[in-house]
This record gives sequence, structure tokens and C-alpha cells, in this order.
Amino acid sequence: MATTAQHQRPNYVLIWAYLFGLTILEVLFAFEMPISRNLKIVILLFLAAWKALLVALYFMHLKFESSRLRLMVLIPLPLAVILVLAAISEHVW
Amino acid sequence: MTDATANAMQPPARAERGLDVYNNKLGMWVFLGSEVMFFTALIGAYIILRFGAPGEWAKPNVVLAVPLTGVNTFILICSSVSMVKAFAAIADGNRKMLSRWLLATIVLGATFVSVQGVEYWKLVHEGFTPAGYTDGSHVAELVAQGKLAAATGGLYGSTFFTMTGFHGFHVTCGVICLIYVWIKSLRGGYTQQDYRGVEVIGLYWHFVDLVWIILFTIVYLI
Amino acid sequence: MSAHHDDRSFIRKYIFSTDHKIIGIQFLFVSLFFLLVGGLLAMQIRWQLGFPGRPMPGGGILPATMAPGGVILPEYYIQLVTMHGTFMVFFAIMPLLVGVFANYLIPLKIGAHDMAFPTLNMASFWTALLAGLIMLAGFFVPDGAPRAGWTSYAPLSARPDLSGASYGQMLWCISLVCLGLSSILGSVNYITTVINLRAPGMTWFRLPLSVWALFITAILGLLALPVLSGAAIMLLFDQTIGTHFFDPAAGGQALLWQHLFWFFGHPEVYILILPAMGMVSDIVANGSRKPIFGYHSMVFAITGIAFLGWIVWGHHMFVSGMNPTLGSTFMVTTMIIAVPSAIKVFNWMGTMWRGNLRFHVPMLNAIGFVAMFTIGGLSGVFMAATPVDIHIHDTYFIVAHIHYVLFGGSLFALFGAITFWYPKMFGRLMNEFWGKVHFWLTMIFFNLTFFPMHILGMGGEMRRLYDPTQYDFLKPYQPLNTFISYSAFLLFASQVVFFVNFLWSLKHGKAAGNNPWEDNGLEWSLPSPPAHGNWETVPTVYRGPYEYSSPLVKEDYLPQYRKLDTDREPAMTPVSGH
Repeated sequence: MATTAQHQRPNYVLIWAYLFGLTILEVLFAFEMPISRNLKIVILLFLAAWKALLVALYFMHLKFESSRLRLMVLIPLPLAVILVLAAISEHVW
Repeated sequence: MTDATANAMQPPARAERGLDVYNNKLGMWVFLGSEVMFFTALIGAYIILRFGAPGEWAKPNVVLAVPLTGVNTFILICSSVSMVKAFAAIADGNRKMLSRWLLATIVLGATFVSVQGVEYWKLVHEGFTPAGYTDGSHVAELVAQGKLAAATGGLYGSTFFTMTGFHGFHVTCGVICLIYVWIKSLRGGYTQQDYRGVEVIGLYWHFVDLVWIILFTIVYLI
Repeated sequence: MSAHHDDRSFIRKYIFSTDHKIIGIQFLFVSLFFLLVGGLLAMQIRWQLGFPGRPMPGGGILPATMAPGGVILPEYYIQLVTMHGTFMVFFAIMPLLVGVFANYLIPLKIGAHDMAFPTLNMASFWTALLAGLIMLAGFFVPDGAPRAGWTSYAPLSARPDLSGASYGQMLWCISLVCLGLSSILGSVNYITTVINLRAPGMTWFRLPLSVWALFITAILGLLALPVLSGAAIMLLFDQTIGTHFFDPAAGGQALLWQHLFWFFGHPEVYILILPAMGMVSDIVANGSRKPIFGYHSMVFAITGIAFLGWIVWGHHMFVSGMNPTLGSTFMVTTMIIAVPSAIKVFNWMGTMWRGNLRFHVPMLNAIGFVAMFTIGGLSGVFMAATPVDIHIHDTYFIVAHIHYVLFGGSLFALFGAITFWYPKMFGRLMNEFWGKVHFWLTMIFFNLTFFPMHILGMGGEMRRLYDPTQYDFLKPYQPLNTFISYSAFLLFASQVVFFVNFLWSLKHGKAAGNNPWEDNGLEWSLPSPPAHGNWETVPTVYRGPYEYSSPLVKEDYLPQYRKLDTDREPAMTPVSGH
């Protein structure tokens, strides 16, 4: 583990710059861009997912972990999506 | 329990190849799985209530101070960087920098919670509460002007304070744990061979940051 | 930590102990106590249903707010059903299966010295005990215990002015948040332990099925309980600080509570049955002196049930006015989940087929489990079909079903498992004769109590009904209700045999020796009870757990730890470097 960190250490400041830039971009899209509301939501969710992925992959080092651990971490996500989608479908029929 | 010769940062797996992760780290990842489901309940409730709301949901920048929270988001992201810098420092065997970066993380985390406290105080002062809004307040005026849907006013406060409140609670717990790790680091408790505590609290801290990234977008921007 | 060196003080050893075996036994005593509490509540329910309006014998000791002159009030009756369900599900069956046996068996069966996080394990027990006491406190606060049923449907549960219970309903939420925390801590521990601490040679497919089941259960608990905690916190906020999550009058959604509760609740149902299935598998193989039939299919069936368990929760909500498309989806997934359950039943029967059966008490209870679970499972298939469910929803048919799987299923398995591992826990065997008496009495009175409930349900008797004689169409069924009540009293009385046997055998039981059941598990290589730290050096595992009647040895069992001349040492995995 110690060796992994030394050999494959990402440039943390660069990731920070990315996160900072994406946050600014998000605020701009949310309040300054004259685009439709639905498109705005899609773009904002995409940017949020991008930021979250950066944190998970580089700060939490998932990029350097075994694929088995990465799979294990993914297990709750489909459950979360299933719950929310099922409950939302109550309002669209 | 672990053999004296074994490397503490390696898994104790004997039976066959496991996950290549030592106990504490595996335990933290497993715990984070349950945290995902906890926030799923809170954030999911928000999404579901917002979808099914009887009126139009309030625009976030009508009530909430988005610039202030934007700065706060920046502070939390910085704290994540300082945390990972602390991790990198001890992986290189630099105990002095470990303590400094940990202290920076604690200060940034505490600042985040404090700013959130100020935000809460301001909102409640303006009449925006978990139960909705108080009569005769600034927020009640907004409702009267039609800038805020009356029917969703109550839900807005309920979901907002519950989600951000529990996130703030998690940050507070993280700060307390970080203070413990920081004191241990000052006493030389972590070495280049064994810095499990730093890595494990780091995972928790980044996870809390990650939750905030999602929350900031769906609560303050959408 | 070695097995022979133990100089801990009494308090560290037996009260604030971090030893997984002591924690398991602590859970055993505490949850048997709550089982008794739940049983006493059930007896009062049965009195009211069998003899509505008549003073309950001994009911005079209850205060006038509950039962003036021993006659149960409607307000008290709804508290009884709420608390009976809550205690049995959360504080009796769940801790008996998971708290007791995951703690006690996992390290012993995989060859570990203790759990991965012993201190966390201790915290888990004390949090669970705290949760139980908070729940019990509900009876003693103003307005009494919660009254919204064990499912606490909103808005009844969210608004004290509707339910009439203020503090009790809050305590319900607080208690379940504590219990959620306890279960999450426990699950983190079990999962980490099974993944990381298996002994050399204990590969995934040499794990006993009990460990597999407990492992999968831990994953379910880990992911389901936080959803309940989140929902309970929101409900608590609705009650206390005036939020409106579940209050339709202010824009909230009552259906949201049902979705969140059952999204937790259905995995919870499998938390309550999977460990029982795992332990029954161990006992059936032992009692049949044959390898378990279809080991791999058993493992995949457990995994399949666990996966499908997440996408069937809507079948509890067919009459809630939910989206019909969603309802059909849930109907299909629910019917699919019967497949892995049936695979397990067939495998148990395949194991027993032409086995050299030994009808010891654990085996009898395990067979009882298989039979009763099958009946309960079949009535479950009825309910999975939406049109049928609409007729029998919230009737005694459902009550019959849940008791066939939870009492007939889980509790019979638990009687078997407690008898089976009792000698390992306490060094003495429970009395065989009285064990058999208890089994047969329980089996007979269980069926006499719960089978007629199917008929009541088809006849339309609603669950949580205070007085069936209020309705003309239910009056003809009243003799059946009285019959059920007599059976239930006798069923309760039969449990005295178990409790007395349990306590008497602690001191006077026959000394057990290391391996009284001639079983293959690692735990039977240790003295009974095993010392602190279990092993001086962890054992090596040479084979799967079900090598009964192996032609390789003259005995009819071949333990996992026994090395034959033909066995090779398991390859020690090099700890991978980078």
C-alpha cells in the first residue's frame, strides 16, 4: 500500500483545481445560463457526478484499489436508485 | 491478534486472496456502504417529496444564501485536499507535515460547521424553519408576494434542515475524530509503516465531502 | 492473544466483555427475556380476542388506563399488538438469530481468535440493550406505548393528536435508531471478519452454510437498517419539531413512509429467516449423516434471495393505491423469489432422503422448520398475487402467514440451534427427553393456534381488530377465536418446558465433551466452552463442512480440521505486494 501511494500518487492540487473549477461552472449554469430547466438539471447532475467521481477515485484512492473492492463499493448504489425511482413513479402515472 | 511480524497495513488474509485490504480500512468501507443507504433515505425523501409536491418548489436562491454556501463548499473541498495531503505526508514518513495538514483539515472542517451554523441562524431569524415559516417573517412575505409556493413551504424547510443538518452532524463527528488523530500524530502515533488511522479517517472525511458535493448541487442549485 | 492466558477481571470477562462468545451469550439471555415479554403481550391479545370484554385473570394488576378491572381497553389493545410485533421482530427474533449466532458462530466456525473489531462488538450489544430498554419504557410514559402498529404507518404515527400516544411514539423512533446503529456496527464486524479472518484452507466454498447465511444477512442488515434509521429520524422530526415529511395535510406523503419502511422491511424479513435457513442446513446435514444436498445451489439460493429481497417490498403495499405498473412489477419479483426458497426446501429434503437419520432434538426442530416454512412460504405465494392479496390484505390470513414463517420458521430453527450449540456455549447438554416433549407440544399447539387463522382471514377478520363480535359477519367465527386462544395459552405454557430445561441444564445438564453431536465444524475441536481467544494457533482447514459418511474414514463424520494422509497443506497465499 505504501508503495502504491508512492508510485501512483495523483497530483492532488490538480484535482483540487478541477473541483474548484467545476463548482464555479455549476453555479454559473444554475443562475447565469439562459437554458431550459430540464437541460440545466441534467448538466448540473452530470457535473456533480463528475466531482463526486473525482473525490472517490483520487482522494479515496479507489482508482488504485483492487477491482473487487471497487465492485463492493458499488453495491449500494443500484439499491438507492431503485428506491428513488420506484417511489417517484408514484407521481407519474 | 495480528502476528507481530505481519505488516499492519496488509490484510491478515490467510485462507485465500481476499480483498487485499486490512481490517480497519475494510471495516470503514463497509460502514460507508451503510452511510450511503442512510443518506439515500434522507436525500431520496427529498427527491420524492419534491417530485410529488402539490405546488411549484421554491427556487433555491430565493431563500437560501447561495454565495455564502458556495464559499463553504470551497472550504470543504479544500479540507479534503489538506486531508489527502496529510495522508501523502505520512506515506512519505513525514510526521511533521502530517500533523500540520491534519490541523489544517480540522480548522477547515470546523469553519465549515461554523458557517453552516451562521447560515442556520440567519435562516431561522428570517423565519425559515424546519416546520415551514413563521408568520409575519421575511419568508412569509415572500410567500405573500408569490415568490415561494405556500404549499411546499413546509416541505422545503423539513427536507432542507434534515439533509444539511445530518451532513453537518457527520462533519462534526469527523472533526472530533480528526482531533483525536491529530493528537495521536503529535505523540508520534503514526509511522511510515503503520498509518492506518490516517487512511481510515481520510476515507470517512472524503465521503462526507462527496455527500456535500451532491447536496450542494441538488439543494442549492437545482 | 492466546487461549490459555486469561487474567481479566470479572467485569471485563462477563459484563463489559469484548469476547465474541460472551457477547453472544449476553445477547441470548437478553433476547430470550424480550421473547418472553413479547409472548406475554401475545397472551393478553389472545385473551381479548377469545373472550372479548371479560376481565383477564391477573389483569387486575394493570392500571385503570390499560385494563380497568382486568378488562382490556381498546387503547391498551392497540398498544399490545404494536409492542408484540415490535418486540418479537426487533428485539427477540433478530437479536436471537444475528446477535447470538453471528457473534457466537462466525469466529468459531471460520477459525478466528475473535471478531475483527471486538470493542465495536461490545458497543453493538450495549446499544441493542439500550434500544430494548427504551422501547420497554414506552409502557411507563404518559399516554402509554406506541399505538400505530409495528409498521408505524404515517400519518397515524406522525401526529400525536391522531394516535393518542406522544412519548411512546417518540421512544419507538429513538429506540429503532439505536437498534439500527447497533445492527450496523454488528454487520460491519461480521462482514470484515468473514472476509479477512478465515483460517488457512477455509475458502469461500468451504464455509459452513450457517456462516454463508449470516454473512449475507449482515450485508442485508448493513444496507437496510440505515434506511429505517433515516425514516425513523424523519418520523421523529415530524412528531417533535414540526416537519411535514409524512403529513399529507401539509404537502408530505404518507406513502413515502410506506416505501421507506418496506424498503427496509422486506430485506428485514430475510434477515429474520436466512440465518435460520443456514443453521438448519448445518443441523439437517448433521442429523442425516449425509453431505448437504447441493451445497453450491444452497449458497446461490441464499445470494439470490438476498438480491431479490431488495426489489419485492411493494407487495406489502398493494392496497395502498400505488402505481399499478409498479404493483405488477412487484408481483412478478415476489413470485420469482419463491424459486430460491423452494430450491432450499428441496435441498433439505434431498439431504434427508435415505440418510441415516438421527432424531435428536435439534434435528426434530430443524425438520419442524422445513415443514412449517413450507406452509408459510406457500401462503406467501398466495399473497404475492395482487388480486388475491387485495382480498386477504390486513386480515388474519396475513397474521397466519407471518407466524408460520417467523414462529414456525425462525423460532423452530432457533430452538434447534440453541439446543445444538448449547453444549458448546455452556459445556452441558440440554435434557433430551424434555427437549422432545417441548418440541412435540410446541409443534401441536403451534399448528392449532395459527392454522385456523387462515380460515379467519379468508372469512374477513381484520388484523388488529379489538373485538370480533362487533361485526355480525364475524360472529359465527367466535368459537374458532376462542379455540385459538386456548391453543395459544397451551402453546405459551409449553414454552415453560423449554425455559426450565434451559435454566436447569446450565447446572445439572449432562457434561457435553468436545463434540457431542459428532459434527464436522471447527468449533467442535475446542473444549466446551472454549477459552478466551478460542485457539492458541488457528486451525488448518482441509475440507468442506459436510463430509458425513465419508468412505475415507471409519467414523461417519470427517471434521474440517482433521488431516488425513492424503490431504495437502493449503497453499498459504502470499500477502500480495505491489
